[in-house]
Amino acid sequence: MLLDLSEEHKEHLAFLPQVDAAVVAEFGRIAVEFLRRGSNPKIYEGAARKLSVSSETIQHGVEGLTYLLTESSKLMVSELDFQDSVFVLGFSEELNKLLLQLYLDNRKEIRTILSELAPDFPSYHNLEWRLDVQLASRSLRQQIKPSLTLKLHLSQNGEPSTTVLQTDPATLLHLVQQLEQALEEMKTNHCRRVVRNIK
Amino acid sequence: MELSEYVQKGFQRLADPCSFDSKAFTLLLRAAFQSLLDAQADEAVLDHPDLKHIDPVVLKHCHAAAATYILEAGKQRADKSTLSTFLEDCKFDRERIELFCTEYQSNKNSLEILLGSIGRSLPHITDVSWRLEYQIKTNQLHKMHKPAYLVTLNVENTDSHSQPEISFSCTMEQLQDLVGKLKDASKSLERATQL
Repeated sequence: MLLDLSEEHKEHLAFLPQVDAAVVAEFGRIAVEFLRRGSNPKIYEGAARKLSVSSETIQHGVEGLTYLLTESSKLMVSELDFQDSVFVLGFSEELNKLLLQLYLDNRKEIRTILSELAPDFPSYHNLEWRLDVQLASRSLRQQIKPSLTLKLHLSQNGEPSTTVLQTDPATLLHLVQQLEQALEEMKTNHCRRVVRNIK
Repeated sequence: MELSEYVQKGFQRLADPCSFDSKAFTLLLRAAFQSLLDAQADEAVLDHPDLKHIDPVVLKHCHAAAATYILEAGKQRADKSTLSTFLEDCKFDRERIELFCTEYQSNKNSLEILLGSIGRSLPHITDVSWRLEYQIKTNQLHKMHKPAYLVTLNVENTDSHSQPEISFSCTMEQLQDLVGKLKDASKSLERATQL
């Protein structure tokens, strides 16, 4: 699948052949860092002064590179398709190779970052449990009431949260049974066929 | 067992055959248990024709006294001898003591269940549902191709009677971790019951 690069995008990337490979590699590094941590406009100014161009040009260059990398990672573009897509920009062989390497090196990480943008339920992180026996309460003495106290650690968008819950022995066994069935489902023929056939 | 004067007086009244004949005593006793244990019981529980001849104020006093004592006895897990001693002190005759103990015995389990269910506790898990999905793509990421589980715990809150749900997603590995930990918990529960 070829990438569809807009005219504006091509214009932004046109800056790249005007600097050496080392600078492009540096831009690539900045682009990935911005994806990890968010952008930092001060970096543009420093680079602009060193290269004697406007900081806007630098910004477009880096952003163009970022977009190239994220789009390719999102679509999981193959090596060949990436090379063909970049070919239309008319860059040198060396620059094309550099861009391809940049893509392949960072693809996995960029995909992980992109996956965090999806609508998200809180996700499971950890479970702590404790077995308790209730011996008495204000309304009834001499009890023997076993119960399980659970601390469920979840995280959503990087924010951890914990919930403390309780259950009784019968429900605990029911939970284990139900969730084991859930795990077994993945091994059924039906699920295997779906996984095999959706590419 | 500390009981107020109001309760003790009510009981002493109940023991008196002049205030309550045998039939009325039995009826009142049953009414007391019923109003405590029967969720559908209403104020009409004392509206029996054989209780009509008794002054309603006295009726209410004795009913309240009986109910209070029953709850105290239930709370303290009173045995037959404790009950008998108290009733003897209130000047109950043998027959009425027997009747009370029999009624108490037959209602003991329900009483203890009722008392045990009163009180605050943590949100209680009652059920679990799960959903297995195969994630293909999002608008940010194509060709994901991985399975994911969505697990929902049904939770009951004792005080608010609300039924919130706790939902979370997990990968297969995370679900295995969760199930593993729950199995450890149930094994330790089994071991504890064998001690």
